[in-house]
Parts: sequence; structure tokens; C-alpha cells
Amino acid sequence: MPFPFDYAGSDPVFTVDGVEETASQWQERTAHLAAHLRDAAVSRLALLNPSGNRLAAALLACQSVECEVLLLRGTLPDDVLRKELAADAALSGSDDAPRALCAGGGRRGFSILLATSGTTGVPKIARHELATLLGRIRPAQGNLERARWLLTYHPASFAGLQILLTALSTGGQLLTLSHTTVPDLAQTALTHRPTHVSGTPTFWRAFLMTLGPRAAELPLEQITLGGEIVDQGVLDRLRTLFPQAGIRHIYASTEAGSLFSVKDARAGFPARWLEEGIDGVQLRIRESALEVLSPRAMKGYASLGALSPFHDDGWLKTGDLVQLEGDRVYFKGRTDQVISVGGAKLTPEEVEAVLLAIPGVQEARVSALKNPLTGFIVGADIVPEPGCDPNQLKATILREASARLENHKVPRRIRIVDQISLSQSGKKERLG
Amino acid sequence: MSVEEAQNLIIQSVRETLSMKGLATPSIESHTALLGGALPIDSLDLAAIVIQISETSGKDPFAAGFVEFRTVEELARLYAD
Repeated sequence: MPFPFDYAGSDPVFTVDGVEETASQWQERTAHLAAHLRDAAVSRLALLNPSGNRLAAALLACQSVECEVLLLRGTLPDDVLRKELAADAALSGSDDAPRALCAGGGRRGFSILLATSGTTGVPKIARHELATLLGRIRPAQGNLERARWLLTYHPASFAGLQILLTALSTGGQLLTLSHTTVPDLAQTALTHRPTHVSGTPTFWRAFLMTLGPRAAELPLEQITLGGEIVDQGVLDRLRTLFPQAGIRHIYASTEAGSLFSVKDARAGFPARWLEEGIDGVQLRIRESALEVLSPRAMKGYASLGALSPFHDDGWLKTGDLVQLEGDRVYFKGRTDQVISVGGAKLTPEEVEAVLLAIPGVQEARVSALKNPLTGFIVGADIVPEPGCDPNQLKATILREASARLENHKVPRRIRIVDQISLSQSGKKERLG
Repeated sequence: MSVEEAQNLIIQSVRETLSMKGLATPSIESHTALLGGALPIDSLDLAAIVIQISETSGKDPFAAGFVEFRTVEELARLYAD
């Protein structure tokens, strides 16, 4: 299946750091790269830290010569790329031609290999087919054509790739930056006025904080949240600021693929989906964690030695803890981020959800603080809303958190900070 | 850091903890037991106090494992040079 796109040659497709690139330039870039790949009989091209336009060219080029493309968000030494990730060529950020890592392995078929997030060292690699990545993208409807999409995720992440494919397969324009800091994204948004913006809840809170009253100038038609647990506070804030925009939150991961989106502007998802399934995906809860049977999941790990997250019956362990509350299922955190305070368990996300609902709290990050008495205690870094008295806010947080949380979940150390750093995938940076 | 300086740090940290909780501070002496009723703090508050003293002093007397302490002075001695 050829990658679906439909542009006139002079149409601007990308705006990279403020510079436009047309469909013809994209095609030229693609043809140039494809010729190199064909000559060197490349079977797996490693793409290191690509910008959105370069990634789009590499996708088309690899598709045309039927080789695999491995998307990486950073750089790795050549011998790791060659030996551990089985790449025979590599293309770095700003290079026009790939460099050979070893003799080309020949035609292997086109597939997209994505590094999983949150790993250090050699990443695990999930194999995806283009058809399944495009599976949830609806045919162009309404005024998707000429829609302007702001890419807030790294283009080589699962979420970034999903935005890129959606924009390009529906005739949209993609606004990208080589360094996606929130102030730069806010400036780009004010200059280029995107109609579609997708980001993590952490991104949205920081984005709104940075834009201030000017947020209302953005002609947003579609707002999408994903990658982290979506809290009701951020949904309500977006609804108030952008009453005309569609708001949805997406549940997806590198391994599980794009699963479903929730469009009722409420946190969590409807409990009836556990019975009925949604968008071809079946859901079940096992040991408090969500498992899915999805037609859009990865084909498996392409990296050696990675433990499969699939059960024998094809169900995939998402690692996301969930809780059924009435007619709703809420996400509570990751199974691998559980903090033990004197043996009692909690997740950072469930505490953050309570903190974010306290007036005066703009952003919160909860972490485990090691100590000799209880193993760990809960610490919270708080970005206050402008004009808040720090000491008063700390006291309020302690009072409110004590009233709403079990004792071991209450943050015992509260630090007031200017900002909370975002990881490359736009999520709150968490240690360990 | 002397024992007295460490004691002052601990007492100040306890006072801040209580003030943040909106509680009155009882008198704190070197022989005051940190847990067990004399002070309205629990083991998690004490853990936070220990973390703070370790950060301020740059010392970790528990690096090799738990060392028992009961009073303000006993904890202060662990941090004293």
C-alpha cells in the first residue's frame, strides 16, 4: 500500500523551525534518499533524531525500496546500531545521505521499528506495520485538509509518528521544531496558528501557563491529550478556554498501538467498554492492570532478548494500573512506578491527581524519597499559580492532601519550584 | 557540624513540620523523644526530617544501614563531626 498523501507540488507540507518545505521538496528529498538506499542494498536504516520532514521522507524512501526504518529519538554509537540493533545504515539528524555501518543485507520488506520510551541504554524495539499505524486514522473529513498540526512530541516517538501520519494522510500541514521546548512551541503557535494540537497533559498545563491570556488567540479546532493520565482539571480548563474545539484523550502506547479515544471530556473511560470493547479492541482487568486484545498492536519486539508483553492468547499487558469507580474506569499509574512507603503502596499519578485539583497548584510531580526509616516517603514538587504565597500554598496542600489521601500517600516534603522538566516524549521526567 | 548545631537543625525542622501542619510547637529539648507521643509527628514526618538534615549537612549516617536513635540528641550525634 503506498503511503497515502495528496498534495500539489507547491503546497507547503512542513514548517520546520519557521521554514516552509513544499510537497515537491519532500519528494526530492525522498527520491534522493531512496537512490542511496537502493544502491547500498540497505535492509534496516537507523534514523537518528530526525526532524519531522526528514522522517516523512525516510518513511517514503524506505517504503519504496522495501527496507525497514528504525526510528530513534537520540543517537547511539555505530557499533551498537550495527551489532545490537542490526542496522546496516544510519542517517543522522541533518545529514542528507545515509552512512553505511556494514554491507547491506538486501530487501527485507518495509516495516517501522520504534524504540520504546522510558528506557536507558539499548532500547527495546517494537515492530509496526504502516497499515496498522494508519488503522485509526479517519478519512479526511470536515476541514482536515489544510489543517495545521503542531507537533509537540518527538517525531520519532509513537505519538509523534501518529500525529505526522495523521496530518500527512489527511492533507494537513505539519508545524515542527528541532527543539520542542514549551516556550518555543508557544511562540510557534502564536505565529503559525495551528488548528490541531496534540500533547501530554503536562505539556498542555505548561503550554497554557506560558501562553497566558494569549491562549484564546489560537484557532484550535481539535485538542488531543495522551501519553499520561488525563485529569479532569486540565480537561475542564481546556473546555473553558476553547469552547469551540473538539477535545479528546487518546489511549495508546508503542507496544499496544493506538487503542481508543475518549471524547466526552471526562477523565478515564466508560466502564461498559470492558464488556463491549471499543474500536475493535477488547479490554480486561487483571491484577488491577489493564490488558488489551488489539488489532493495532505491534507485531512483536524486533530486539533480541526483550521479554514479550503478550500472553499466549494474544492479550497484551499494558502495565497501566486501573480502578473501576461506578460507570468509569480510571488510570492510576504504572505497575513499574509503584512506590512502597513502609510496605503500603501508591503511584505518583494518583497523588498528583489530588494535588492538581488543589487551587493554586499549576503543576505537580510526585516522587519517592529514599530514607532509612520507611524505605520511601512521598515528595512533591509544585509549580504554583502566579501570585501564590509559597508557604501558604504548602500548608494548604498538606491540609487538603491529608483530608483526601491515606496517610502514607500524603507528601511529606513539598518543594515549590519554577518548572517541572519534560522528557523527550513530553511526559514529566521521572527518575528510576 | 557540632552536636549542638545538628540539634538546632533538627529542632528547626520539627518546628517547620508542625507549623506547616498548623500545630502548636511544644518545647523540644535534647532528651525529647522524636517518636512516641512527646511530639505530634509520625514516622513519615520523621523520615522527611532525616532527609532534610542529610541534605543540609551533606552527611548520610545511614549509608551502611539503619542506626538506632530515639531522642533529638541521639539523632544529632549521628550528624556531628
